Amino acid sequence: MRDRLELAVPGAVVGAVGGLIAGALSAFVGHPAGWAAATALAMAVPLGLLGGGFGLLVGGGRFRLGVFAPAALYWLVGFPLARLVAETSTGFLLGGGFTPPDDVLGFLAYQGIVSFGWAIGFLWLHERIAPHWLDKVRARNALAQQWYERYVTHARVLRESSARARRRRAARETTARTK
Amino acid sequence: MWRAGRLEAMPIRKLPDAPPSIHILGPTVFLVALGVGMGESYMWPRLVLLFGPEIRWLFLIGVTLQAVVMLEMARYAMATGESIFFGAARVFKPIMWFFFTVAILVYIWPGHLSAGAAALEELTGIPWTVSACVGLILVGVLFSMAKVIYNLLENVLSLLIGLLVVGTAVVAAMVGTWSDVVSTITGMFHFGYLPPEALSAAWFPIIVGSIAFAGPSGMQQMWYTLHLRDSGAGMGAHIPRIRGLRHAGEEEAMPARGFMFDTDDPAEMAKWRGWRRWVTFDALLLFWGVTMLVTVSFTVLAQAASRTSPDVTELLRAGEREAALNAMSDSFAAAGGPALGGVFLGFIALIGLNATLGLFDSFSRGQADMTYHFVPGAKRFRMSHLYAGFLWGVIAFGIVILLFGPADGPGAILDILAFLSTFAMGAYCVVLLLVNNRMLPKPIRPRLLTNLIIGFGAVFYLGMLIYSLFRFGVVVG
Repeated sequence: MRDRLELAVPGAVVGAVGGLIAGALSAFVGHPAGWAAATALAMAVPLGLLGGGFGLLVGGGRFRLGVFAPAALYWLVGFPLARLVAETSTGFLLGGGFTPPDDVLGFLAYQGIVSFGWAIGFLWLHERIAPHWLDKVRARNALAQQWYERYVTHARVLRESSARARRRRAARETTARTK
Repeated sequence: MWRAGRLEAMPIRKLPDAPPSIHILGPTVFLVALGVGMGESYMWPRLVLLFGPEIRWLFLIGVTLQAVVMLEMARYAMATGESIFFGAARVFKPIMWFFFTVAILVYIWPGHLSAGAAALEELTGIPWTVSACVGLILVGVLFSMAKVIYNLLENVLSLLIGLLVVGTAVVAAMVGTWSDVVSTITGMFHFGYLPPEALSAAWFPIIVGSIAFAGPSGMQQMWYTLHLRDSGAGMGAHIPRIRGLRHAGEEEAMPARGFMFDTDDPAEMAKWRGWRRWVTFDALLLFWGVTMLVTVSFTVLAQAASRTSPDVTELLRAGEREAALNAMSDSFAAAGGPALGGVFLGFIALIGLNATLGLFDSFSRGQADMTYHFVPGAKRFRMSHLYAGFLWGVIAFGIVILLFGPADGPGAILDILAFLSTFAMGAYCVVLLLVNNRMLPKPIRPRLLTNLIIGFGAVFYLGMLIYSLFRFGVVVG
């Protein structure tokens, strides 16, 4: 279980950071600290959970590494839902009732469009952070080790083709000089 | 051997395998960093507030054209491992020297630092000239210490742009409304819309300038070929990478020309198609997608700001860039508290930082490449030394100008610089047509449709520039 949870860490961190930015933005809308914390929490928790879920799907081999389409589809559903949860639950967290947006469909449609931008940024940061995190935990986590190896294979294919080309050229230049 | 022009023929080598999946990380990050600048965060929101969202069809054309240009720049760079400057020299050497000169004239002025540094001043109170000078020295030290400059820069820029994109998406999600985004997006399809005021001497040159600044402007697309090469894309894998000054001794000798692969071999052509898919994905999703996202978001922000503060529209109309950005920040602060205004200025500073990092590296890379290959005797030095020479040269000049001179360049030549920057874009479209259709083997030359689009680009940039000059007597604004 712990091994699995560790796979979710990079995605959860990126999701939560995005949520905290959102929290910081709406948090200071001239409202007291309680409101600030509630807004940050309402955004960071669903985005963090969904981000972690994304990590589990990539780590489990269900999504291919770094490919955009699955990430875009995942967030097309996930981002509007996270926003709806945040919007609706902020009032509740502050001790009042639920506060859903007036035009729920319009709200979801708009958030769906924005989700593409979010998906690009999320995947971009996730792909930067995940390999470092996996390298850190792979000694004690077999699942992380498997995922890390997929990154290594991917990078090796790229690097080897370049390195082969460079070696060949270097060898040829040495031969040419000695002739 | 592949003979291209009168310069040294290219030996035939193997094309490396294309990346196995369509991966999101690549050299396009440089183009995005350079391209997402004032055009997206200021010029287009300004036009939308003044003329309505319908004006955005021109932006759509500008960015789409740039995406095709990017693919064509990549065609030559990936097929040969040479920069587009080298390709231009294969056609006719003076064309390359023209770009060498334009780069120095246009990009040596540190004016591009001012918007980001001014936003930082607004945030922190540190005078902008101080942060700009410190920033310049830091950039120089950073690039001199790096082992492989490309890796360092790709990591730094990726992180910054990742934050920018995530942050912009979140801001847009919170501030915008469905109707804002509908009007912004539907506005992109009002082809042919031009209000009478847009065709005036005051506004037409500004519109031309804004189209030129939609996405990467000036010579930024040409520099992209150098980043592609250093990232090891296509035949760029056969060319050594530029190292920081401290590690220059480890650099392998730079070959005197690029390489070509065997285009008659079906296996090689299959790999080539893999590379084309890779770069097409980059062009469509990362470049086109991110540029669109940032402009749509900033336009939505500007619309929201103008609703709460009519000052914003007036300042934008007057062309007071920094005042308008500050007024937008103030209106966000009024609507959403000081933090929201601060975050907005933070974004502007971040965009400025990205552009500056990318610009200094790109300028030095391009000039070093042309100097190394075409200035007699320059091969005595390593590419890394030449790179460092240009980098520190432009930094030293920048500091002197920031302290004692006009940051954008002397007032008397500002018009000439704006003209040259847009002229270079029309000129590189012509160069692309010549290079890709004459210097590459037939099987990998562009198709007719692509040639028509690039040809349209040449007519579009040069035509509008010349029309503006003769009809209104003003170059681009």
